[in-house]
Amino acid sequence: MSSRAARWVRVGLPPVLAAFIAIVAWEAWVAVREVPAYLVPAPSAIVRAFTADPARYALAARTSMVEALGGLLLGSGAAFVLAVAMAHSRPLERALYPLALLVKVTPVVAVAPLFIIWFGFGTLPKMLVAALITFFPMLVNAVTGLRSVDPAAHDFMRTLHATPLQVFRMLRLPASLPYVFAALRISVPLCIIGAVVAEWMAGDGGIGQVILIANGDLDTAALFAAVVVLASMAIGLTALLALLERRLLFWHESSERV
Amino acid sequence: MPVTTAPALVVRGLVHRYEGEAGGLLALDGAELRLAAGEFVSIVGPSGCGKSTLLRAGAGLIATSPGTVEVLGGTASQACAAHVLGLVSQDPGLLPWRTVEANVALPLELTGGPPRGTLGGIAEAARALVQRVGLERFAAAYPHQLSGGMRQRVALARALVHRPRLLLMDEPFGALDELSREELCLELLSLWEQQRASVLFVTHSIREAVLLSDRVLVMSASPGHMVDEVPIDLPRPRTLAAQEAPSFAAYVHRIRAALGAPSTSTAHSTGDPA
Repeated sequence: MSSRAARWVRVGLPPVLAAFIAIVAWEAWVAVREVPAYLVPAPSAIVRAFTADPARYALAARTSMVEALGGLLLGSGAAFVLAVAMAHSRPLERALYPLALLVKVTPVVAVAPLFIIWFGFGTLPKMLVAALITFFPMLVNAVTGLRSVDPAAHDFMRTLHATPLQVFRMLRLPASLPYVFAALRISVPLCIIGAVVAEWMAGDGGIGQVILIANGDLDTAALFAAVVVLASMAIGLTALLALLERRLLFWHESSERV
Repeated sequence: MPVTTAPALVVRGLVHRYEGEAGGLLALDGAELRLAAGEFVSIVGPSGCGKSTLLRAGAGLIATSPGTVEVLGGTASQACAAHVLGLVSQDPGLLPWRTVEANVALPLELTGGPPRGTLGGIAEAARALVQRVGLERFAAAYPHQLSGGMRQRVALARALVHRPRLLLMDEPFGALDELSREELCLELLSLWEQQRASVLFVTHSIREAVLLSDRVLVMSASPGHMVDEVPIDLPRPRTLAAQEAPSFAAYVHRIRAALGAPSTSTAHSTGDPA
């Protein structure tokens, strides 16, 4: 067995085994105690609910994914741009930080209906809710990251008359990447939650709507299937992010674990 | 390289105060310094005597008023703009996402090309310096794969690649073990013999200062001021054998006395095992 395969077994086997045991125990518990399906469906019932109409879940997942990813890009992107400005100016940081905090503490559930009134029932309001929820983690992390430059490296560049743009491009931007990725790790599950919450308010599709309908029908198995799809989306995105991070941050100590 | 008569660095009446409570800390009170073109001068002194502050003033990294700082006949910021300064700090300050060669190439990217009078482009000039400090096998390695001594070698190569006329070194070998320290001293001496930039070298180590310098300035703390100036009249080019000379011991003794540190505890604080 190659060392690569051995690594996969060592790293991948424990969680898979744990999940398998949990699923078997769950199935057994439901069967033995004869738990009603509308309370807790057995894992096999959840699988049946999914396989009965996989296209429905796939379509809904696509809708939610577009909203969530669009929101993530929009929110994190805007936050990063603002972070660049704030990292370069303390007065600007002091001026804008309370506003950013206000955005942070405003409950998404309260803002979502407002966005629907303003922007209608399409994709845009859902993206905006997802964007709002991912804004703050990126802003705070990026400001910290853009300031976390090695003073010795900065001094060296200053003695060579480096322009602010050169310092940004060669020093601040790469130095901020570990913080940017930390923010994204927080934001990936959040942006999916944001999209789903917005779909509850004005569902014309997406996993949020599947959950809403399943809930109305007391179709708990379908509800669980939708939740599993959501979880898979979050896990998939997180894994993709981890892969990207390992590529880009090979030089950072955080990438030395695993 | 054209021979200039302007001194490499002249500091007059420099006062510097670090902001803080109770009026801050007076780091320098009227410091004076004169560094001739091509001269190698070290400053030794206890921690907090302002020797690093003096060096940072020469690099244009801190405000210098009251007082004047003249670098190669102009202001410090003019010297920065003319790309005639090289800086090595105690922390190597390498960019961890760049390879050794790309780190050494950084000054050339900032100045817009290889130094005049060299053949080839930026990559060739950087590679030549990497080779010069004996790291050709590690040209494609990243800083986190190197030892502390090797990282400081990279920092030295990076500070010299654009052929600066004034090299400012702020306790460059302070974080290294004794062996790496000696090795890097020799490396620095041989590079200096070749390039003949003026060097201001700030250190805790008396022996290091004597081994390297034409002149050693001794500073005292709070507020920092010069207490002695010791011309080192040892033949060049120097090797570690220079330390065996009786005059070497005499210089070390004189500097230690000027530091007012006859006791072993203070001698230890200068980072210089007796």
